Amino acid sequence: MKTAQDWLTKIKALPLDSRVRIMNVCGGHERTITMAGLRGALPQNVELIPGPGCPVCVCPEEDVYLAIQLALHAGVIMVAFGDMLRVPVNVPKSEPRSLEQAKAAGADIRPIASPQEAVKIARENPERKVVFFVAGFETTTAPVAAMLLEGIPENLSLLLSCRLTWPAVAMLLDSSKPGFDAPGFNALIAPGHVATVMGPEEWTFVTGQHALPAAIAGFTPVSLLAAIYSVLRQSIEGECFLDNCYPEVVRPGGNATAQSQLSQAMRVVDANWRGIGIIPASGFALAKRFERHDARKQYTGFEKEGRKRVGEMPPGCDCARVVLGKIYPDQCKLFGTACTPRTPVGPCMVSDEGACRIWRASGVKSCSTV
Amino acid sequence: MCLGIPMQIVSIDGYNARCAAKGVMRDVSLFMLQDEPVAVDDFVMVHVGYALQKMTEQEARSTWELLDEMLAYDTDMQET
Repeated sequence: MKTAQDWLTKIKALPLDSRVRIMNVCGGHERTITMAGLRGALPQNVELIPGPGCPVCVCPEEDVYLAIQLALHAGVIMVAFGDMLRVPVNVPKSEPRSLEQAKAAGADIRPIASPQEAVKIARENPERKVVFFVAGFETTTAPVAAMLLEGIPENLSLLLSCRLTWPAVAMLLDSSKPGFDAPGFNALIAPGHVATVMGPEEWTFVTGQHALPAAIAGFTPVSLLAAIYSVLRQSIEGECFLDNCYPEVVRPGGNATAQSQLSQAMRVVDANWRGIGIIPASGFALAKRFERHDARKQYTGFEKEGRKRVGEMPPGCDCARVVLGKIYPDQCKLFGTACTPRTPVGPCMVSDEGACRIWRASGVKSCSTV
Repeated sequence: MCLGIPMQIVSIDGYNARCAAKGVMRDVSLFMLQDEPVAVDDFVMVHVGYALQKMTEQEARSTWELLDEMLAYDTDMQET
């Protein structure tokens, strides 16, 4: 088996005469890249760009606001993955700006690590209404679908902000048409655990329709370097194919059972991405048979008429461009000054999968030190 | 959130398994692997309490090493 050093030697031996900008779309990838210091170890004309890889970062501001209002005013137990608790919304300073602040103000909000915990909390509190607020990509949405099909108590409902990964990449690539901004990357590292569930085939549009090099990577430096080598080689040879550098768990077709469960429990809908807007067929909603568990239908009228900056990122925050890979985290003027992991302003500094948090928590002060 | 942790199955009860990773025990759902043969001692990739896919022992061990490094790093660098 090749080591990371073997792959680096192979990469450095490649006759690379033009700049290759490789986007990743998974917070786990960005974490390994940053933590292992891969950027500094690669040739100068290879750029690694963090893209839309953080579901918490793109969760609509309106949904976080709704979750806060339900927790404060609807008497529910609100459960959510821990990442969601510190995501800020745009409200006057006198009001709770996050689920964490709502919790401090007395709301019953409980962080969980698994959908099964949501079921357990609902079963243990049959007299209460429980709302599971969940943002996630396919890897997280499939377990939520499994939870639904296995059977959930009547007092549990879902506030679903789940998204599909590939439509955001497709949107970025389609924006390279005349009249739009260039997508900003010319090779892709595809997400390993999304492909584990959904199958690698989902990503063939990158190599086929758009003729860009692409490889699926796992989360070790070795797997990522193998994928980087693959896309560089594809780029040099001018022949693109979707390489699978994570065969340990990524099999042809993916996990067919999980996909079937997803399609039984969810339907794919147009969806809003915070700071980005609507991306067609990029979100999940509950299938008709589970509509009675849809918190959006159960609880209405909680959005405040005329609320300022509805749906937007916080003032001065450049998270939207960070998520799209248009700028690096340190190019946001708040990075490391007003916005730090301890006092996050934007969602990319809140989530463990946000590029800003990963960079800052790894000691990155600016791009030159990556 | 897409972080996966390889775990070894210790016991199975229906769709639920007791799994271990480096001495830590967790309840894991096998609901997404119900069409595959899964047995005690098998290794699975676990995400938010659900097994996504089976994997080999060697693959599990190399991922554990990476997670160890990340945890050590996190303890040093978090909240700066």
